[in-house]
Amino acid sequence: MKILMQLAIILFICLLGEVIAAVLPFPFPASVISMLLVLALLLWGPLKIYHIQKQADFLLDNMGFFFVPPAVAIIGYLSYMEGKLAIILFICFISVFTTFAVTAWTVTAMMKFTAKRKELKRRANSAESE
Amino acid sequence: MQILQNLNEILYSPFFGIVLTIFAYQTGVSINKKAKHALANPILIAVVLIIALLTLCDIPLEAYQQGGNLIYLFLAPATAALAVPIYKNWQILRRNFWPIIAGTMAGSFSSIVVVFGLCKLFGLDETLTASLLSKSVTTPIASGVTEQLGGIVPIAIAAVIVSGIIGSITAPFMVKLFRVDDPVAQGIGIGTCSHAVGTTRAIAMGELQGAMSGLAIGLAGIFTVLWAFLFTVLL
Repeated sequence: MKILMQLAIILFICLLGEVIAAVLPFPFPASVISMLLVLALLLWGPLKIYHIQKQADFLLDNMGFFFVPPAVAIIGYLSYMEGKLAIILFICFISVFTTFAVTAWTVTAMMKFTAKRKELKRRANSAESE
Repeated sequence: MQILQNLNEILYSPFFGIVLTIFAYQTGVSINKKAKHALANPILIAVVLIIALLTLCDIPLEAYQQGGNLIYLFLAPATAALAVPIYKNWQILRRNFWPIIAGTMAGSFSSIVVVFGLCKLFGLDETLTASLLSKSVTTPIASGVTEQLGGIVPIAIAAVIVSGIIGSITAPFMVKLFRVDDPVAQGIGIGTCSHAVGTTRAIAMGELQGAMSGLAIGLAGIFTVLWAFLFTVLL
């Protein structure tokens, strides 16, 4: 599909995301609603991956580029953060480690748990058939 | 003087900010390719270059933002595009549904709790705390959450990028330190703690790790939004 049309589809979904965000009774970032919409439309079927593939790849590959302008705005807050930079860095450092550990351990523990349950079910089934 | 006046107006053209950002980012990308070190992060290099140029030439931030805001506009569609890696890995997600969901949920929750606890411990004010809470998720989601919590968006974005760089540098070390052998658990862990920047390192560690890390960016984002919402309701 033409790249312009792909862009139009993604931007249209973003617009829908903003409409839903405006209607929701609680605050929820419109961009996350748009992401859920894209996922739902892909899984559900009306949106095919080739409808948006090229444009999505372009956006994902250059994700870092879109971060640059809002990050540059930090110059306005340098004096506000003065003296706290070391603390902020420390907090980032510690939380990266704890977040990784909690996430990876939870995944591993849940994998063992579900594997065990499957094993029990399999045994129960084979015991029944005997 | 008239010429200087005109030149000043040109700086307020959106093209100035767009062209400057592309050049700065491309410079960052090529330095990154040569240096091959996660600290030579293209985003970090671009931000430093642009800030240096603006300060040295005494160009107001508003002039740069004429073009910068147009680029910023594309963060929302870029976030929407995060659904594509989730969709592409749907089969692996379905096979490991509860481990992956529970992992990203617990990970984003722990991130908020640890950051909140440390901010309180160091006596940081509420605005700064609100700006740091969402630091583990990808920029557009972090900026949305930060706005809702009443934090300062540029500080949140800086913390997001710094966390991403820390994650991408330390990922292989963390895997050993915490004895995580399963590639799915490794990838989900890296994506949850250091979003897209960490994902580049996860891709280098293996295809499955990379795919899982990319999948975790979107999931961790969704759960962070939910936790942050609960947080504001409860506090």
